[in-house]
Amino acid sequence: MKSFILKRLLISIPILIGITIIIFFMLNVVPGDPVALMMKEHISVDVVARVRAQMHLDDPAIIRYFRFLGGALHGDLGESYKLNRPVTSLILNAFPNTLLLALWAALFAWAVGIPAGILSAVKKYSLPDNLFMGFSLLGVSMPIFWSALLFQWCFAVRLGWLPVAGFAGWKFVIMPAIVLGWSSAGIIARLTRSSLLEVMRNDYIRTARAKGLHELPVIFGHALKNALLPVVTVMAIQVAGLLAGAVVTESVFNIPGVGRIAVNAIQARDMPLLQGAVLFETVLVILGNLAADILYAFIDPRIKVS
Amino acid sequence: MNPGLISECRRAGNGWSAVLMSTALILAGLCGLGAAAAEKVLTMAYNEEPQTSDMQMNTNDYMIPLNVYDRLIECVTTAPGKSALVPGLATKWEVSKDGKVYTFHLRKGVRFQNGEELTARDVVYTFDRMLDPATKALNTDILDFVAGAQERMAGKAPATSGLKELDKYTVQITLENAFVPFLAIMASPQASILNEKFTRPLGGKYGQTADSTCGTGPFMMKEWVLNDHHILVANPRYWRGRPQIDKFVLKVVTDPETMRMLFEAGEIDLFDCDFAVSQIPYFTASPKWGKQIVSGPRAGIYYYSINQKIKPFDDVRVRKAFQMAVDRRLILEKMFYNQGQLEQGILPVGVIGYNPAQPKIEYNPAKAKQLLAQAGYPKGVDMEIATIAGKGPQWQKMGEIVQAMVMKAGFRVKLTQMDEAAFFATRKEGKLPMYSNVWSADFNDPDNFFYTFFGPKGTVARSFNNLDPAVYAALDHGRSETNPAKRAKLYNGLEKKLIVDQAVWVPMFSMKHLYVVQPKVKKFVVPWNGWSDFPIYDARIQ
Repeated sequence: MKSFILKRLLISIPILIGITIIIFFMLNVVPGDPVALMMKEHISVDVVARVRAQMHLDDPAIIRYFRFLGGALHGDLGESYKLNRPVTSLILNAFPNTLLLALWAALFAWAVGIPAGILSAVKKYSLPDNLFMGFSLLGVSMPIFWSALLFQWCFAVRLGWLPVAGFAGWKFVIMPAIVLGWSSAGIIARLTRSSLLEVMRNDYIRTARAKGLHELPVIFGHALKNALLPVVTVMAIQVAGLLAGAVVTESVFNIPGVGRIAVNAIQARDMPLLQGAVLFETVLVILGNLAADILYAFIDPRIKVS
Repeated sequence: MNPGLISECRRAGNGWSAVLMSTALILAGLCGLGAAAAEKVLTMAYNEEPQTSDMQMNTNDYMIPLNVYDRLIECVTTAPGKSALVPGLATKWEVSKDGKVYTFHLRKGVRFQNGEELTARDVVYTFDRMLDPATKALNTDILDFVAGAQERMAGKAPATSGLKELDKYTVQITLENAFVPFLAIMASPQASILNEKFTRPLGGKYGQTADSTCGTGPFMMKEWVLNDHHILVANPRYWRGRPQIDKFVLKVVTDPETMRMLFEAGEIDLFDCDFAVSQIPYFTASPKWGKQIVSGPRAGIYYYSINQKIKPFDDVRVRKAFQMAVDRRLILEKMFYNQGQLEQGILPVGVIGYNPAQPKIEYNPAKAKQLLAQAGYPKGVDMEIATIAGKGPQWQKMGEIVQAMVMKAGFRVKLTQMDEAAFFATRKEGKLPMYSNVWSADFNDPDNFFYTFFGPKGTVARSFNNLDPAVYAALDHGRSETNPAKRAKLYNGLEKKLIVDQAVWVPMFSMKHLYVVQPKVKKFVVPWNGWSDFPIYDARIQ
């Protein structure tokens, strides 16, 4: 297992370097000047030229890239052009908010998705099945920004039950977690349903029923164990996805997380900050996938990591 | 309440302690709630995180500087759209006969928020810091005409020779040449005064957090959570008296729809309609909000730029034809709900030197077509209008309306959406095609409009390319002309030349700035220049 993990981590190094190269050179190809952008309407060509030189923005791209890479190897992701603060601390300060949001969204997705999937499979083609599957389809297909606006209008503006936006306590997490987790809940519900239906057709389930077992022990004691294997893998990958993909939710609900930092960095052509944010989120996705693989090996004894 | 503390007591097996502790904490919480209820809090929203509270490093976000710092002179709103320069940290000042030497006498006993007294040394330090190349300041334009500024910025001098501390409370600023707008510039937020003792040790870290921000202003920064909010609290020792508002909360809300919902849910107290122009009819028609609208004129002008380096706009007849092909009245009425007035020149209403008699630009597509034909384009011309993607739907919509309008005169417009960084980088190079924009006064002087757009560097950096040495000479003359009547005449003549003879841009309109405020907010006045950033010292919370 140790060598498996080590191997996977080593493979991720070229991936990370590749990501930094792509981001760095893409940002250099597209037109844009961070200093001109900082000054916007109050542009002064003399000031732009002076500050660009002071920020080493006129150095060749390759030198700037290796300067960044050298710093990153020492844990220093540089300084944000716009905010003039160390990128590492900006990301680490924002990450707990993203993590909290992603975990609550994942919990919502699991708490709703798994029971809904089971119920839909057990009562297939019934009204509850149609309702749950309709709900999950809505979650999967509705864009987050739209569901977010609907939730805000309904639960905050009309009913006044929850705050519209912000991140200052448990009440503020409810709506964004539901909005972000809804799509994942839909995927989990549909996967649980189809996986459970497939398992229920197996011979050992028929044998259990023939032995006179009641339906509930058959489902929870025999079928669910195997049916949840693919679901658990998806769940682990989803957490990484939620961590890296909360950009829209963070923007609409005004959550000061890593996703919002990345969006602001793109808009401000803040290369060090964007590189740092992308690198950080890439690491999260790689670790999430690795965790899913390891988890799978633990859950299913038939699978060996070797 | 601290749940960790309670569970700690429980773990220790002391149930009564937990109960007592809970009760005490609940009571403390209730007391806190009582205090919070009495507190006068004003909450607003920004649409962008300010990069720093250091106004020397920031050319866009002035809400914090206008409330945390003071300036030698202040520009106050005396009536809607009207302003006056009044003493601020300087009680009086003198100007030498040649208009080059300014002597400011400082107010005695003014304290910075760290307890230090304001002295002439702080003023000299503040302005020298701006010009010191080590600061990497972005706002050097407001001081680069001070004697010795160029040498200081080039790193050739250890200090700026034109800045002198005559005694503890007297500062002398010598300029290279007479510069009439100087006093007005001293009232701009960029000219806010810092405390040397507090600022110098922080170096480049100044203004990045609440703890590293210090001014003499009515509010002090208490909390700054990046991408989330800023909390400013009343300065009890403010020299004009403690503000009535105890706490000023500024939330960073990038999404305008979220901002509107925050307002309707009562979570913010002021809604800036500039962030969502399409909501104006909703608010004005609403029985709940209609009476809560506060509006004021804006010393700002909407315009369409014309780049003379891009054919066919190198021909003045084409430029004039375009001016005539846009039905500005219709756009103002239908798109901006008639919340403003048509403008005919460079200066909008409210700015010193505004000329109500500036010749009117007529809407005449037939005549525009004739002009195009005379210029050698009888079959019309192809052209491009650039907009910033995501800047706000009104800009794209206005482009679409203009596209349809000018087609009658023979202009076939291609609308190009650009990302903001590419837009500003291309514009800086002088290569941006036509674009629409708004410019609001930084300080109340015609120079802030004329020189910004048509000075030798500005005309290229803003992609006008009106490379006319006679205009540059007139602009320099305007900067040094100390006789107000002669100066007004000079700018009026220049305005006619630029708009009527040279057709350098299409003046559109100046718009009112509308805010919707919660009923508890009283005495809120839209600032004279119509900015979204303003001092809130005079506002009241009921």
